[in-house]
Amino acid sequence: MKLNIILSWAILIILMYAAQTSLLPYIGYNGVSVNLMLLLTVSTAFVHGYKHGVLMGLVTGILQDFTTGSYFGCSIFSYMIIGLFFGKFSDRIFKEQLLFPVLSAPLAATMYFFIVTSLLFLIGYKIDFLHMIQTILQPLIIYQVAFSWLIHKLVYDFDKFAKRHG
Amino acid sequence: MSRSRKEKNQSQNKTAAIIFILAFVLCSIFIVAKTNVQVPAAGKTMMFFLSPFQKTFSWFGGGVSELSGSVEEMQNLQSENETLREEVKKLRAENLNASEALSENQRLRALLGYKQNATQFDMVAASIVGRESVTWSSVVTINRGLLDGVADNMAVVTELGLVGHIVEAGLNTSKVQLILDPRSSVGTLIQRPESRVAGIVEGDINNPNAPKMVNIPKDADVKEDDMIVTSGFGGVYPKGIVVGKIKEIHNDEGGLLKHGIVATTVNFEKLEDVAVIIESREAPPDPLPPVIQSEANTEVDAAELAKQMELSKQVQQEVRDRVKQAQIQQLEQAKQSGGGTAN
Repeated sequence: MKLNIILSWAILIILMYAAQTSLLPYIGYNGVSVNLMLLLTVSTAFVHGYKHGVLMGLVTGILQDFTTGSYFGCSIFSYMIIGLFFGKFSDRIFKEQLLFPVLSAPLAATMYFFIVTSLLFLIGYKIDFLHMIQTILQPLIIYQVAFSWLIHKLVYDFDKFAKRHG
Repeated sequence: MSRSRKEKNQSQNKTAAIIFILAFVLCSIFIVAKTNVQVPAAGKTMMFFLSPFQKTFSWFGGGVSELSGSVEEMQNLQSENETLREEVKKLRAENLNASEALSENQRLRALLGYKQNATQFDMVAASIVGRESVTWSSVVTINRGLLDGVADNMAVVTELGLVGHIVEAGLNTSKVQLILDPRSSVGTLIQRPESRVAGIVEGDINNPNAPKMVNIPKDADVKEDDMIVTSGFGGVYPKGIVVGKIKEIHNDEGGLLKHGIVATTVNFEKLEDVAVIIESREAPPDPLPPVIQSEANTEVDAAELAKQMELSKQVQQEVRDRVKQAQIQQLEQAKQSGGGTAN
């Protein structure tokens, strides 16, 4: 039973990650497109609480860091922190409520942006924060808000489906 | 009472585990960044399982992209002629598959043309199947791997110029670090014969679409619109591949050096098909013209011979100079032990 649920989640994560890396860049702006793994982590944290949020952050972060050849650990660390943070609100909101995840999307994107740029700064890169806010954060927030409702609805319905059939 | 204590203990253990993992990941980030350690087996395994999905989505995305391009074209036609637009719309819808095939055909023909002209390279054509969602770094995934003869550190090009190099070759897919990536550095030369100034082209984290040519002496003969080609030093990128041209020149803070902003010849946002150079040789020399042996042209041949000898001396001198420059570069790189290595 539990194995079925885990397998269903694994397939959902892989499909969403494949879409994020191969399909959605076609609608990207200046190399920035929607980050479904971040939305997935936030929605899971809202629906299941901080422990599952951290776990989802760990899994999506590992998947992203190992397969993209980006700066190793940056995604794992930032997604885990974000999963932990938003998971703390899990018992204070209605899970059916879709407005809160949409409103949280800009905050999650901003947190992700500042965690990663701070880590890159600490590694030794000269970061022009203002320029990066304009070129990366602003389009990222727009994409995240546009997709947040859809992803939260998907996670919420998928969770119900997995519990029913798992 | 004991049950609630047990639950409390479990919760504390989970929190401790989370803190431990976070601390471990944080340490790993800095260790990996400084030592460039990789875990290829894990990455390759994940890429192996992920690649079929990426290939499918990428194929679908190509179709969608073609469709959106067609829609844009049709919008322009609408302003010119409403009737014609309707007709084109119908034709486009009918021939969507055909136009996608035609577009792919044109791209591959261009790539094939380059492949046939560049006889010094053995190449494998590949398509991009994966990209990152945010441009902290610039790494893409291509649908060729070890099974196709692709290996780490092979150069990746298009008919327009240099794209990057393979950083991790999986079984059927590979990761390509683009020249836009801040960790990438390419040994280059100014193509203009009277200049031939050497420099390193590296990605700029603050401007992911335009890399910089750095380490140019302030008095060096570098102008805007100068073409940049790979120097061949370092062994990853073969010599003579076009990288781009100098868009702007700025002085560095120290005052001794300057850097140029490079406009790449390859449009990385529309990159779909590439070629991996799996083998490179020196370009074969042009065949010598046949010499007709006669008394009348004996003197001419001698004069030609003298000219050729003079020319070969100049070439030798140029090669010596470049070797000297390469040695100086290597020494500088050795000094900069903290930074990335120049390829």
